[in-house]
Amino acid sequence: MKTILPSATEESRQLAVRYGYDEWLVSRFLQYVPRVQEFLEKMDKEPTQYIRVNTLKTSAEELRERLAAKGFVLGQTNLPEVLSVSAAPMSVGATSEYLLGHYYVQDVSSCIAVDALDANPDQTVLDIAAAPGGKTTMIAQRMKNTGCIVALEPNARRARSMSFNLARCGVSNTCVLLDDGHKVAKLGMKFDRVLLDAPCSCEGVIARDATRKTSHEPSDVEFCSNLQETLIEAAASVVRPGGVLVYSTCSFAPEENEAVVQSLLQRQAGFSIEPIKCGVSGLTSFQNIDFGSAMKNTRRLYPHLHDSTGFFIAKLRLG
Amino acid sequence: MKYRELTREEQTTVKRAFDRWGIFEFLSDKNLVVSEGDQKKICLLSPALASLLPKFSPEYAGLVIGDLKKGFTPSMPGADLFARHAKKNQYYISVNDNAEQLVLYGRDVMGDSISLASDTLDENELVIILNRKQEAIGIGRTRFAGKSIFQKGRITITTLADAGLYLRNEG
Repeated sequence: MKTILPSATEESRQLAVRYGYDEWLVSRFLQYVPRVQEFLEKMDKEPTQYIRVNTLKTSAEELRERLAAKGFVLGQTNLPEVLSVSAAPMSVGATSEYLLGHYYVQDVSSCIAVDALDANPDQTVLDIAAAPGGKTTMIAQRMKNTGCIVALEPNARRARSMSFNLARCGVSNTCVLLDDGHKVAKLGMKFDRVLLDAPCSCEGVIARDATRKTSHEPSDVEFCSNLQETLIEAAASVVRPGGVLVYSTCSFAPEENEAVVQSLLQRQAGFSIEPIKCGVSGLTSFQNIDFGSAMKNTRRLYPHLHDSTGFFIAKLRLG
Repeated sequence: MKYRELTREEQTTVKRAFDRWGIFEFLSDKNLVVSEGDQKKICLLSPALASLLPKFSPEYAGLVIGDLKKGFTPSMPGADLFARHAKKNQYYISVNDNAEQLVLYGRDVMGDSISLASDTLDENELVIILNRKQEAIGIGRTRFAGKSIFQKGRITITTLADAGLYLRNEG
């Protein structure tokens, strides 16, 4: 889908200069990000760090006690296994608990996507574009290391890195295939759950990487959107009837989110969008494009509203 | 990567090792396969993954619990699993908090930092190094036998692998 570029306004010009963004990006944010100035302020601050307890090895209660004894101050989130880190006497990646795989450093938004997947023991799950394995290891713990996860990662180096994370977390129900998400049909099987955390323009992680304020172009959004449309179609083709497909990105761009979900719904019958507890509703329209009222069930997570990285999540059930 | 079932000879070797580590009962009904790359590795799989494996040629599958050369040597994920489920015997030694941090950086174990070890251990024995909470933090080899393993001011266990190794390798 072609990137929609709203006309520049005095407000978009001023905000772009003040916060150091390309103007085209701010003029778009003004169309779909609520309370834009608060958002831009938040993106200039250090993002909150989160850890996800690896329940294959420990409990949230035990980990809290151990890390508190080392001086960490942890808070609860909407998900019982995800803790926010408000004070840390050392890097969260430098504790023995981390090395022993008792937790994974992972943003709460990623964990909400896995929560929406609702993976259960003994199911068969496909995780597309899986490296470095944060979501995969969380799915494995939700499945209590039973059933089977097929994780696809086309990049050999990233797949190797993922294998270390799987090993550290004690995951034994997962295999990693060096493959592209477009080729899922050749696996010759259907899955109870499919997670597609799609490659995206990463607008939602500007707080972690400020170069993204100026480093990407409208054509990047279009490129990602086209890629995502083909990936979601491939992913949807291997969902078992009654099964769930979760589509997520760390972008706010409607062309990469609601438009991609809409393209799937138009091309493949039988999918419906199910509600998700966290976040705010997805867009039902953007400029002159109508996404339909069902798109309200998709979710957007905004850094300034939800203290997470920016994220979009859609939960689609077949039949 | 090619995955296959264990040969009878390999099964015997692995079961003997499991018996040594006190983990035989826990692993006796689990799904194990051999991955054949540069090294033969023993992988633990969930039953569902084991049944799917012949369909694919995965790059990685399951949890690598050890290497198979002349005998079976546990990997760190294997040592972690053993420490959780084994009936611990003389091949598990515990170290104090200070030594835990050093082991996690690949350092060897000084005799005076060992808090629990059997005096029936021989020299050159493979051991799993545990922290105070009985979690596997490393794999080592004894340099001394019997009570000499506690001697002060000397390295008495060589650390062969530790839980921090993968992070250092990644770096």
